[in-house]
Amino acid sequence: MKKRNTQDNLLKALVYAASSLSLLVLVALLSFMLQKGWGSLSLDLFTRPYWSEPISIEYPSIYPGEFESPTDLPEGAVFSEAYGFALIDSTNPKKEAVLELVYLDPNSPLNHGTNIQAGHEGEAATVVVGYWVDKIGYMNTKGVVRSSGRIVGQNAQKTIQALDQSVSLENAYVQTKGGGIVGSLLATLYLIFVSLLLALPIGISTAIYLNEYAKRNMLTSWIRSSIELLTGVPSIVFGLMGVLVLFPITALFSAQGTSILLGGLTLSVILLPIIIRTTEESLKVVPQSFRDASLSLGANQSQTLFKIVIPSAIPGILTATLLGIGRIIGESAALIYTMGTFVSDDPKLLKGATSLAVQIWSIMSGDQPNFALASAISLVILLIVLILNFSVKLLAKRFRKVW
Amino acid sequence: MRTSSPSHLKALKRKLREDALYKGLFTLSAFVSSMMIIIIIIFITLKGIRPFLPNYEFGQQNLWAFLTGMTWRQDQAVYGVAFIVINTLISGFSALLIAFPISVLTALFIVKIAPPLLSKSIETVVEILASIPSVVYGVFAAGTIVKLVQNLAMLGQIQTAGGNSLLAVILLLAIMIFPTITSLSMTAIKAVDKDLELASLALGATPTQTNFKVVLSSAKSGIFAGAILGLGRAFGEATAVGMVAGNKMFGPSFNPFDITRTLTTTLLAGLKETTGLDYDIRFSVGIVLMGVILVSNLAINAFKNRIGTIK
Repeated sequence: MKKRNTQDNLLKALVYAASSLSLLVLVALLSFMLQKGWGSLSLDLFTRPYWSEPISIEYPSIYPGEFESPTDLPEGAVFSEAYGFALIDSTNPKKEAVLELVYLDPNSPLNHGTNIQAGHEGEAATVVVGYWVDKIGYMNTKGVVRSSGRIVGQNAQKTIQALDQSVSLENAYVQTKGGGIVGSLLATLYLIFVSLLLALPIGISTAIYLNEYAKRNMLTSWIRSSIELLTGVPSIVFGLMGVLVLFPITALFSAQGTSILLGGLTLSVILLPIIIRTTEESLKVVPQSFRDASLSLGANQSQTLFKIVIPSAIPGILTATLLGIGRIIGESAALIYTMGTFVSDDPKLLKGATSLAVQIWSIMSGDQPNFALASAISLVILLIVLILNFSVKLLAKRFRKVW
Repeated sequence: MRTSSPSHLKALKRKLREDALYKGLFTLSAFVSSMMIIIIIIFITLKGIRPFLPNYEFGQQNLWAFLTGMTWRQDQAVYGVAFIVINTLISGFSALLIAFPISVLTALFIVKIAPPLLSKSIETVVEILASIPSVVYGVFAAGTIVKLVQNLAMLGQIQTAGGNSLLAVILLLAIMIFPTITSLSMTAIKAVDKDLELASLALGATPTQTNFKVVLSSAKSGIFAGAILGLGRAFGEATAVGMVAGNKMFGPSFNPFDITRTLTTTLLAGLKETTGLDYDIRFSVGIVLMGVILVSNLAINAFKNRIGTIK
């Protein structure tokens, strides 16, 4: 008896230990993401492009003014009393030294220049806090135009020093702040739209066929198992299928190579089994008496379907949609083959782009993985996925009707 | 005689035509859905065997050399897949070996042992883990598991490529397949006949003995279905593994601290051109991947039938 007790307790301890491992992994994962990504997370991240864009600015020889330094400058920032802005030494994602603009006086002459960048000639050049200042050209006391800034190896202190002794401001070369996710966010929305547009009608129709029309025979069980088999196919194989089978379809719309459309089509195939299964579950619980009542009142079969059966199954279809969106947001391998890995700030349906998940892959697979941005995007994805999961649960509870 | 009035008859006919039309549409959808898997297999097979046929435009490849080759060098157009298959099997089965017992015990804990509140919370944890996308696991592994392996290697004075290693792949995969196996095991354990348990208890077995000897062996079939699904996920996982594998060019890798290369990381590595041998051979790797998954499914099934009647 005693031996049995010790054995039992030992096994129990083992079970408790094993179960706590899952919690440990989740906590470790979340704290890692928060630690690495929290700093990069801001509202600005969602509206900023990924690639920083150079702007070349020319000034009409602006003379120095007298500006007051604000009291809340971050530590290490150097203020230019002559031109009313502050720079700080920083690094870009490639770990190269850059000068970041941290403060700009509303009246600073820095914003009074003209853009001379090819393609934007003559436009008023706007400079915003967060930009990287590569070069500022000034005229020195001998009347010679000189350059200051990172381009001549100066740090924030030296750059401001040179400027504050200058006679006038002549030109500047700045870079917009990159590292945002606006392009991937848009591309992900495109993807959700395209793939649901295809997968929902086909998936729901298939579920209706299986539940309402199909006879119990070999053919039906064959259809069921071939749909079930799709669940076990690795997503990268779906990617191979996409470029092979679905690319000709996108080529009809004159897409060349990888495109969001191709990614969406591929995803719609991946979503099919999820949508079919979830919809069929919800069709199954619609009581037969509903159908019988409708038919006996003189409605035909399609009227019964569209007015009685499908409306009763709406919560299930909604659940299928939410699960589908979750899958779309998390998918990466299939999309690398069908959409490419080049982050696009202006995604087009017939051009390559990255979804949020693929952008993570893209910035992690280079020589210098960018953990900060990858973790920030991961946090965004995790939040969306958690909300989706929670909604699915809520939906299931809310609509669990007893007929 | 209203029923035979022409307008009424017309409406009836229209309704029946409508029915037939919708039935046709639904049937067509079902047909399309069920054809997808066949389309995938046929097209990838056709494309994947092309490099080995005599009239291949980029120069016929030797099928035997491909299947038994121990070197994979894109830059020299040397494509041998044998060591990659071995690496894939090693990492997949090792991950299963780690994850399987933990998953089954966790499932048992959630369904049978834990008090209600604790059971609910661990179940939620498993659900959340299941819904985390693979790239996110990849970032996590590249930031933490890799460091862990590196520290471990330093303790043992072993060289690693910055922590990217077979061991990191195995640990990552074990974490990733854990929720899959757990949730399928839970379903299986829930489905065990209550009478069996009661009978065991009535015969004087303790609850723990009952759980381990009666419940688990009755739920065996479902638990192994979970193992099969988990193994399939381990073999097919691409992006996360790609972040920690290191892509060795020859092999196989048996040393856990050595870098490795799996079928999926090979598919992802150096994808640039969309024509030519280097692109086409990826479809051959795709066939091999599907073959590996199929064969290992059959193997696990056979294994399951063997240990079928221990108790």
